[in-house]
Amino acid sequence: MSLVHINILVAFTVSLTGLLMYRSHLMSALLCLEGMVLSLFILAALTILNTHFTLANMMPIILLVFAACEAAIGLALLVMVSNTYGTDYVQNLNLLQC
Amino acid sequence: MNPFISITLLTTLILSTTIVTISSHWLFAWIGLEMNMMAIIPIMMKKPNPRATEASAKYFLTQTTASSLLMLAIIINLMHSSQWTIMKLFDPTASILMTMALAIKLGLSPFHFWVPEVTQGIPLSTGLILLTWQKLAPISILYQISPSINLHLMITMSFLSILIGGWGGLNQTQLRKIMAYSSIAHMGWMTTILLYNPTLTLLNLLIYIVMTFTMFMLLIQNSTTTTLLLSQTWNTVPIMTTFTMLTLLSMGGLPPLTGFMPKWMIIQELTKNKTLILPTLMAITALLNLYFYMRLTYSTALTLFPSTNNMKMKWQFYPTKQMTLLPTAIVLSTMLLPLTPAFFILL
Repeated sequence: MSLVHINILVAFTVSLTGLLMYRSHLMSALLCLEGMVLSLFILAALTILNTHFTLANMMPIILLVFAACEAAIGLALLVMVSNTYGTDYVQNLNLLQC
Repeated sequence: MNPFISITLLTTLILSTTIVTISSHWLFAWIGLEMNMMAIIPIMMKKPNPRATEASAKYFLTQTTASSLLMLAIIINLMHSSQWTIMKLFDPTASILMTMALAIKLGLSPFHFWVPEVTQGIPLSTGLILLTWQKLAPISILYQISPSINLHLMITMSFLSILIGGWGGLNQTQLRKIMAYSSIAHMGWMTTILLYNPTLTLLNLLIYIVMTFTMFMLLIQNSTTTTLLLSQTWNTVPIMTTFTMLTLLSMGGLPPLTGFMPKWMIIQELTKNKTLILPTLMAITALLNLYFYMRLTYSTALTLFPSTNNMKMKWQFYPTKQMTLLPTAIVLSTMLLPLTPAFFILL
């Protein structure tokens, strides 16, 4: 596995860690989600261009379309949370504990 | 909700699971799972109260993480095999990542933390969809990649799920959380047998869906969400207490009822493969599940909680809610054990 691939995988892992360990804002989780999808886009485009897999040239773009839809839903949920509490602090999401 | 929106969402939900189950291209399966998540989030927010908002936000975050991990596994598979057909995976890293992504989607341990909270925050009918229909798509993918799943990872996750499903439900009075922990435990049973005989995973899934559907329909009848409300069903529709008892005991896996069939078959398959400790521990841990079902049965059908005197003189109205398929579901979830050979041949 070449250095470029390792670079992209490290980018994905750093974004994943950021998604799992954010401190107070829900927004940073959504940003890390977008970072993950971006690194997946680059990895997919790299692999597909390298292997000259022309039929799959559309795949990164389709991935981007669905990631944009996800981001829209994430932001809508952020707005709903913000409607209730005024901020997007995650410590406010504590109504449903056991 | 506006009927057009409602129909669109339900159609997308059904279509998404259909896409995942019938696709042979990894991208289409991923798209189906994305559509699945996108369709159910507005359904969860039917009545926008803070609990539903919180449940939807938690569901969204976990499911999108799982989708991204799944896509990473798909791309690594592409790097190593340069083809998109859904069959066994060609790289152990891709296999581990995909198994973990699908475990997050299903709610297997150690990724089970979202299931009780999300099930608690949404209305009962949406909880039914969450715990039954949403399990079909990830299990269909797991079924197709089962030859290449890492055995140790799978058995660890499923045994942990059975333990946590058993112990987690012990301290609950909210019925939706109890159903969520029951779902975690049943998912554990289903994924244990995935690597030995995947047919039994599908059998267990089918019977689990019928039993959970019955249980949720019984709860929706009286809009009961806590044990206290469940203990008052003798007052509204007395026969429901018997049905609740039978369905709960069936979910616990007691012999003459249907719920025993998947557990029996799974233990038989595991012993055929000479893994003796695992089915013993699984069977013993299933008793924890049975304990909290028995507690619900006890308070519902076997005793009367202390109540005021004029409760006993309530005029019994004719039930107005639609009991969708309830008699069929009750019969299916309690009396199917003699048909075990038929299921074996069919599936």
